Amino acid sequence: MDFLTTYIVLAEIYVLLGLSTNLLVGIVGIFSVSQAAVFGVGAYLTAFLLMHTALPFPVAVLLAAALCVGLNILVTLPSLRVSGDYFVVTSFGIQLLATAVFTNWTGGTGGANGLPGVPAPMILGHEFLEPTEFIALTTIGMGLGCLCFWLMMRAPFGALLRAIREDELAVAALGKSVLGAKVSAAALAGAFAGSAGGLYATFLSFVDPSSFDLDASIFLLTMVVVGGARTLAGSVLGPFVLLALPQILALIDIPTSIAAAARQLIYGLLLIVFMLFRPQGLLGEKL
Amino acid sequence: MSAYLQVSGLNKRFGGLQALRDCSFTVGQGRITCLVGPNGAGKTTIFNAITGFLVPDTGHVEFQGRSLDGQSPQQIVRHGIARTFQNLRLFADLTARDNVLAGMQDHVGEGPLGAIFRPFHTARALAGKRDAAMAVLAHVGLEDRADALVRNLSYGEQKLLCIARILATGAELLLLDEPTSGLSGAALTEVMALLRRLQSEGKTLLVVEHNTRVVQQIADDVLFLHHGHLLAHGSPAEIIADPKLAEIYFGGTL
Repeated sequence: MDFLTTYIVLAEIYVLLGLSTNLLVGIVGIFSVSQAAVFGVGAYLTAFLLMHTALPFPVAVLLAAALCVGLNILVTLPSLRVSGDYFVVTSFGIQLLATAVFTNWTGGTGGANGLPGVPAPMILGHEFLEPTEFIALTTIGMGLGCLCFWLMMRAPFGALLRAIREDELAVAALGKSVLGAKVSAAALAGAFAGSAGGLYATFLSFVDPSSFDLDASIFLLTMVVVGGARTLAGSVLGPFVLLALPQILALIDIPTSIAAAARQLIYGLLLIVFMLFRPQGLLGEKL
Repeated sequence: MSAYLQVSGLNKRFGGLQALRDCSFTVGQGRITCLVGPNGAGKTTIFNAITGFLVPDTGHVEFQGRSLDGQSPQQIVRHGIARTFQNLRLFADLTARDNVLAGMQDHVGEGPLGAIFRPFHTARALAGKRDAAMAVLAHVGLEDRADALVRNLSYGEQKLLCIARILATGAELLLLDEPTSGLSGAALTEVMALLRRLQSEGKTLLVVEHNTRVVQQIADDVLFLHHGHLLAHGSPAEIIADPKLAEIYFGGTL
């Protein structure tokens, strides 16, 4: 039973990341391959605050989310100057930079060994130790994230972001601020990724650089591609489907050393197959 | 009395090409002014300079006595000037109505905080904007196509939608870049009728137009541009009667 609960908790955390990635890549068309880096900063900061200060869990996560808002605006700003393919390269650089910092800043991040012993969240004197308790937190987090996403997409803000993806120049010609809308979207994507980081660090009680590297960023893109770009349903379905894959592989009796490679292989194949035969994903629109 | 739109001494050089050369003209309020000239004469460059998409090397643009120099495209729309594009630049994956909505200047719900924390206020505002958008679509005769995606509209419908989208901004001065190009028959007649109707409602139109028949039928004033310089201005009859201009326009050199 714990197995299933752990799966749901992780999938719910990744839904927040799916929303973050879908907002930038799917809706605004800022092709970021560094969302895992922002996720990582949220995780590390929450872990650090809970281990070294007396700040309560909600405050630590809020601070982490706030930092990620600022950070994501900064890393997205180049998209105002360079567009399309050029931004992907910039974003790739940002991801490599972040991995280098996570791996080598031993004083802050514990380096390659990571930070073990992140305390479990404590809210109003209650400690969320077990996955069966933690699931309440991630469900609330995911629910809030989905609600925000849904409200934004049905508001004129959603239409504005979609219009920007199609033609920034035309949006400017209609008297709208492209800069303002992009910064807002980046801020929200940062808030989603940062709070996902906080939940992730406290759930696993351990953070290390391997969860936030380029592979992780590509995994986030795979979630969006498979689930479906630009829709709430796609952002929710993607993580649940992709995180189920390792569990299914675990049921088949293959050695763990092969399982990891098989997983990468399947993610890669999924990306190719979906792009070729179903670019709109399971429940989305064409990217 | 100052002109409604006054363009004075515009110069713009792109590398070795002098796109605009000491270009000056005025546009009278409530009139349809056609900007004509051979390809590469600088017509679209003038549009870009007026609407803030291009900063001229020298020169000034004044609208209703106020300087537009150094203003962004966004600010210029707020002054009441909006433009269409020769290559349309519609949002192809949005519906006709959402394209019109994108032009509206009521900014309620266009930020994330309003959308999230004032959902009911946003929903009410959106309902109002939808009605207003329908009215604009009806005005150009596209009310039946409100929910169609732009890429499923005919070319003529897309041309009309371009005009609807800038009407939604509430602009008084409309800059239309070849609104009739590629159209013929009923679609052409429809666009021409719309332009006249807009004029009768008090709008001022500056129109880039290639079709001399259209110019003859809709223009009050004609500006003839050649090599980025205003070569002549006058009534359509005067411009068309000038053999020198006809020579330039129909393939001669000067």
